[in-house]
Amino acid sequence: MSMTMETGELILYHVKPGDRVKSGQVLFEVMTDKIDMEVESPADGVIEQLVGEIGVAIEIGKPVLIMQTDTEVMSFDFGGDEPLPEAPAPVVETVAVQPAVIEAPVVAAPAPVALPPMTNPQEIRAVPKARAIAEDRGIDLRTVAPTGPDHTITVEDVGGNRLSDDQIKRQVANKALIAKGLEMTRSIPQISFSRNVKSGSVDLTSVISNWARVLRTRPDLNISPKDGSAVSHVGVAVIIESKYGSALPVFKDPDLQTLSELADLFASTAKSAHNGKVPLAMLSGATTAIFDLTRYQMNSSVPVLFPNQVTSLTIGENFSGEKIISLTIDLRYLDFYDGAQLLDSLISAL
Amino acid sequence: MSDRMLTMAEAVREAMGIAMEEREEVFILGEDIGIYGGAFGVTGDLYHRFGSERVLDTPISELGIVGAAVGAALSGMRPIVEIQFSDFTAQAMDQIANQAAKIHFMLGGALHVPLVLRTPQGSGTGAAAQHSQNLEPWFANVPGLKVVVPSNPADAKGLLLSAIDDPNPVIFLEHKLLYKIPGRDPVPEGAIRIPLGVSKVVRTGKDLTIVATGIMVNKSFEVAEKLAAEGISIELIDPRTISPLDTAPIFESVEKTGRLMVVQEGPSHAGYINEVIAQVSGSASFGNLIAPIKRLAGMNIPIPYAPQLEKVAVPQIADIEAAAREIVKNWR
Amino acid sequence: MTANPLLMGHPLSSPEHAKHALLYMYRIRKFEEAVEDLFGRGMMHGTMHLSIGQEAGPTGACLALQINDQITSTHRGHGHCIAKGADLTRMMAELLGKKIGYCGGRGGSMHIADAETGNLGANGVVGGGIPIAAGAALASKMRKSGTVAVSFFGDGAMNEGAFHEAANMAAIWKLPLILFCENNKYGMSSSTEKAFNLENLADRGRGYGIPGVTVDGNDVVAVYEAAEAAVARARNGEGPTLIESVTYRWKGHSRSDKNLYRTKEEIEEWKDKDPIPNFIHKVLDRGILTQEQVEEIQKISTEQIMQAVKEAAAAESATPDGLLEAVFKAVSA
Repeated sequence: MSMTMETGELILYHVKPGDRVKSGQVLFEVMTDKIDMEVESPADGVIEQLVGEIGVAIEIGKPVLIMQTDTEVMSFDFGGDEPLPEAPAPVVETVAVQPAVIEAPVVAAPAPVALPPMTNPQEIRAVPKARAIAEDRGIDLRTVAPTGPDHTITVEDVGGNRLSDDQIKRQVANKALIAKGLEMTRSIPQISFSRNVKSGSVDLTSVISNWARVLRTRPDLNISPKDGSAVSHVGVAVIIESKYGSALPVFKDPDLQTLSELADLFASTAKSAHNGKVPLAMLSGATTAIFDLTRYQMNSSVPVLFPNQVTSLTIGENFSGEKIISLTIDLRYLDFYDGAQLLDSLISAL
Repeated sequence: MSDRMLTMAEAVREAMGIAMEEREEVFILGEDIGIYGGAFGVTGDLYHRFGSERVLDTPISELGIVGAAVGAALSGMRPIVEIQFSDFTAQAMDQIANQAAKIHFMLGGALHVPLVLRTPQGSGTGAAAQHSQNLEPWFANVPGLKVVVPSNPADAKGLLLSAIDDPNPVIFLEHKLLYKIPGRDPVPEGAIRIPLGVSKVVRTGKDLTIVATGIMVNKSFEVAEKLAAEGISIELIDPRTISPLDTAPIFESVEKTGRLMVVQEGPSHAGYINEVIAQVSGSASFGNLIAPIKRLAGMNIPIPYAPQLEKVAVPQIADIEAAAREIVKNWR
Repeated sequence: MTANPLLMGHPLSSPEHAKHALLYMYRIRKFEEAVEDLFGRGMMHGTMHLSIGQEAGPTGACLALQINDQITSTHRGHGHCIAKGADLTRMMAELLGKKIGYCGGRGGSMHIADAETGNLGANGVVGGGIPIAAGAALASKMRKSGTVAVSFFGDGAMNEGAFHEAANMAAIWKLPLILFCENNKYGMSSSTEKAFNLENLADRGRGYGIPGVTVDGNDVVAVYEAAEAAVARARNGEGPTLIESVTYRWKGHSRSDKNLYRTKEEIEEWKDKDPIPNFIHKVLDRGILTQEQVEEIQKISTEQIMQAVKEAAAAESATPDGLLEAVFKAVSA
């Protein structure tokens, strides 16, 4: 596949609506200017609808089929944005009701060297550790340019201690996605408040829980990311580090869980997010967001607003160990005093 | 006094003297070890201290010497044989490999052979092909022999005392260039014993593991110190005994550094270091290798005479340095 | 079955001594015959070297030895083991690959040793035991234990460097060693005529400055007398003696031998010099033993061998357990 490819002809569907498919199963074939390409399912799920037409050219990024996925994939819910051309591989787009749209393959930058497609990965020269890393990170060694002696793939070639090409691509896409979302919120009139927390429990779990409890008193502040209409739940997106950059798993109605349940859920979610996976059910439905910067002993007094969220929090910490909570509000939904009261309510609750 | 800097010859002599004082069954036999003091001066004054019966000069009869030692060992003695050059063990190989090594196993375990065979080996003296070999693989390939290759005086003393205690035949290979140079570490006084079969981490590092024995430990150490200034951190492991071979610290080190270089003076083909490589290749640490294993060994030729020829036949410090630098630089 | 305490002394010195000499020669003969039979029937594996016809040598020599005197033996070593007092069942068990065998099945026919009777081991390498016996004699001298060492070896071994080196060292150090050459005329297929330019191999003694004597190896009395003199010399600190005991091997070198290098007539000629009837005539002529006593001893020896075969066959086979651990003697703390 070349970078210049913009369309491909849909040759064949391997599935029909209602089929249960496994991750990696071939869904359809596309003919490009160079080769025929099989497109695999990025996740387990059920095919809902085939939307492409056989024999007809399809544009990059346009839906080819829609499937309901039930496995964990990494993505963000920014409410039906156009797909980003930098995103790697077929992107799974989820909407609030969770159908996934499988799109025509997005062409990623080709590997620095063209290897014969039939090369067996075992025939590629690579040091043992590089093989282990490739397997761990799902890197196809055929796509890796060897820089070691005798054309051998080194640990550095597959990322080693730095990031793999795949990781970089995903991170670039990830950042682009976040940046694009935030670009949309830049023009929104907004204001931020901060306050040091002198006492009380300011661990992340209790902030999530209490912030949800505060927002539950204001149904007008929990709106749909799709159309801005009010929703009946509170969805707290928490920003967590992952190997592909930031992940934003959404904790729905965390105030209705016990603190220990929430702590367990947070721990398991954080762990899988670190490995680049977020449960599909936690990818959508955010109505607010929280950044926790305490472990860096940092504070952001101006939390950023994500699209269709009218509030956003950061928990920070200064060098004397004092916690600081900052709130940003969308002035179209809240006025200055509303916002100040909201932050006050949270800190009191803590 | 803990700062005694001895040469290996002095340390080996001290160990033999201690063992002979400790047990009257310990005696030394070999060619020119008595009043002459040994071809390399290792037995030195022991003849004067312990007399001609316990420091027993023999005719030039390597097979007979080792055979007599085997028979004496079977009869309650603890002989230490000195063979003047390791090359001459070829003369005695039946008694070493067919008799001493096998008696305990083959004869059902009722008899055993507490025998130490010490012999100088290695190149660097201009003595050419029949006086310069490193023969540890000959012995290491015979089940029933323990093989010790000390790299410094302190180890030589402790290992030799353990070898003399051991109820089995032990081949003790001393590099002749180490005889006259003091070690880096002082030699403790008294009957210090270092167990056979325990590798020593000579120097810790994180970029490259070097496994070496004998004089190659000294050469590798020098390289490690030099390259440390360039930011290359070398972990140096001296197995000290080749049979049995203590692999755990080697695996652990490779796990840490991801790079392995093995250095041996003897010819590369079928050398003992190949066993080190095989063991690492079959261990879990293999999966952590970020570089092909580097083998640095002697050329597969008899040791030549002329100094400029002898030098190229075995790894020199510059070779070790270049190889170490290359492996760390090339494989990241 | 425990080893009989060794009887010492001249075979004709008493009925007891005569019985002992006869019993041990019969034991060796019957043991070898049983081994040959078991091999023939496929019940033993590997190879074997039989000493039928050579029984007088080990029997006569060992009558001159105390139990703590040491011997080293050869690949054709069953006779030496038996004469030095080894347990017949454990010997047979070893040949049958049994756990109770002397070597636990790890050594077989060529490697039987018995520390309790001073037997430092048979040896698969021609001449291999000679320097070892010299070393045992050296230890005896150093420890002043008063024991002697006898190295049994064949004519072939006298052309090994090991013989030369050991004989020389024993001579210069005056070790209590008896170099006992069983000249059975052939080193495998090479006759002594082809392998030596000597009439009597014992003449080699002179080359080391030690006495060399040639005796009729099929006469247990002559062997004893030569051995006894050598042992006395050794114990007296006068050094080693070379004894050439001239005998003959009736059977082939090993299982594969087709006897192409010698004539049937020669074999028959030596069978007429059978050491056992030779000795029986002597004891009957001198009235030391009666015909009935002789027959009784033959019967007993047959029963002992049959018993040994029976016990050995019934014993548990050797297993691979612990093979690796058996390579070295454990280092005690």
